[in-house]
Amino acid sequence: MTELVWTPMTELARLVATKVVSPVEVVQAHLDRIARLDDKVRAYITVMGDSALQAARAAEASVMAREDLGPLHGVPVGLKDLYCTKGVRTTAGSRLLGDYVPDADATVVTRLAAAGAIVLGKLNMHEFAYGPEGLNVHYGTSWNPWDPGTHRISGGSSSGSGAAVAAGMCPGALGSDTGGSIRIPSSLCGLTGIKPTYGRVSRAGAIPPAWSLDHVGPMCRSAADCALMLRAMAGYDPRDPSTSVLPVPDYGAGLTGEVKGLRIGLLRRFFLATAGAPQRQAVEQAVKTLEGLGASVREVTLEQMTYGAGASAAIICAESYAYHEEWLRTRGPEYGPDVRERLLVGAFVTGADYLRGQRARRLIRDEVDRVLGSLDVLIAPTLPIAAVPVGTREVEIDGRMHPVRPSLVRYTRPFNVSGQPVASVPCGFTPDGLPIGMQVIGRSFDEATVLRVADAYQRVTDWHARRPPLGA
Amino acid sequence: MADRPIPPTPAPLAPQPLTKDALRALALAQGLALSEADLDGLLPLVQATRAMIDDLWAAPLADVEPTAQFRML
Repeated sequence: MTELVWTPMTELARLVATKVVSPVEVVQAHLDRIARLDDKVRAYITVMGDSALQAARAAEASVMAREDLGPLHGVPVGLKDLYCTKGVRTTAGSRLLGDYVPDADATVVTRLAAAGAIVLGKLNMHEFAYGPEGLNVHYGTSWNPWDPGTHRISGGSSSGSGAAVAAGMCPGALGSDTGGSIRIPSSLCGLTGIKPTYGRVSRAGAIPPAWSLDHVGPMCRSAADCALMLRAMAGYDPRDPSTSVLPVPDYGAGLTGEVKGLRIGLLRRFFLATAGAPQRQAVEQAVKTLEGLGASVREVTLEQMTYGAGASAAIICAESYAYHEEWLRTRGPEYGPDVRERLLVGAFVTGADYLRGQRARRLIRDEVDRVLGSLDVLIAPTLPIAAVPVGTREVEIDGRMHPVRPSLVRYTRPFNVSGQPVASVPCGFTPDGLPIGMQVIGRSFDEATVLRVADAYQRVTDWHARRPPLGA
Repeated sequence: MADRPIPPTPAPLAPQPLTKDALRALALAQGLALSEADLDGLLPLVQATRAMIDDLWAAPLADVEPTAQFRML
């Protein structure tokens, strides 16, 4: 039973479909692990044990009746608690929504269920997804499974998604990414996560931090599992006007292991050059590995990245404040202090600031598109640092102290502004045994190449397959 | 009709540093009742955020329209 919680989603789907294991066994194994570990890990806000077992029994009956099965039939997943679930409370990690029970599912939840996935529960997060550490004063802060002895951040805002998948408490999870919130916890927890192109996956029924920056995507233990989840979730949705009508490829079929002839751009300036030594070395080694597989690599610079922080700040502050304005006036004390304070900053951003941010956004997006015109993917570290203990405000990078919060989003948020697809892929560990991730950035709507590169890398390395010591 | 003199253009003001009093007034104008402790905590955050946004003045935006509707395709 223990091994079931470490079995990849692709393999679980095959084992269920071929009647080697029952979905009931799979779900029960995960519920047992949640019961054993979650008092410490705090990955879940709501565990849906009864409904998960009920769904598992129904899934088992479908297998026995030889019905047509979806690609995720009987495979458990966790949902970041900002995705609306019909009849199940959806808190967005906040006390404000502590009793909020939606009357409809988010589109991605409907699609995952239609593919046969079974929801184990709702996952912890930074309140209203408004922070990159994953801190939560209401439901507790998730514990990074890679250090059982010290309470380190699992990264945010999808902190519970990162901790749960890393600790074997679900094989894959939904995250969301407004400034890095899929890629940051994926990197800090040793997972593979992909922020798809803006418009690839519906945001309908997801509580927004910032409408024009929010991306919905999977967090798993491999690129192959991300491919399986993403295909089930992606595609046009009339409930979300930003979704694209472009067809969704079979991402799994595109995982050939081949990167020969692929053109890779390595982002050194603004990225690799400012990362910590372990991150720098791990990413450089990963690029050599891809070169060894037949890819060609050259260094490139994105000059407009200079404006990434300003554009992101103007947009996220204005959009988040617009969403929370009424609650900040009438229910301010119900927010956690750090989130309330940072949301209030948006009250002092003008309309002209917002539009200047949206104009700079066009510069940034156009430059990334232009550079990717002659390259297939770009590579950069996901983060300059590894997971820090909860409460750490400053961290040393190459002998200089830097504030933690901006360090966490420095390399990720420009690609929320630009909108292209980006995966975070495990590529090493620090001397302290903490995971390191690299970003693989692709052309708009070319998630297939991003996943192919990540998968090819994972076929010749084992960083993604290592298990954390917590609960081993 | 006699030409009327064109009033002199006022010299542009340099932006003034944001103070706690200015923050309080701006907040009240938006219906936000903030305590002294709130304002003390908020002021450095607003200043830091405004500094980041003000960096955009250096961006070459003369002929660039905003991504008002940010849709990839």
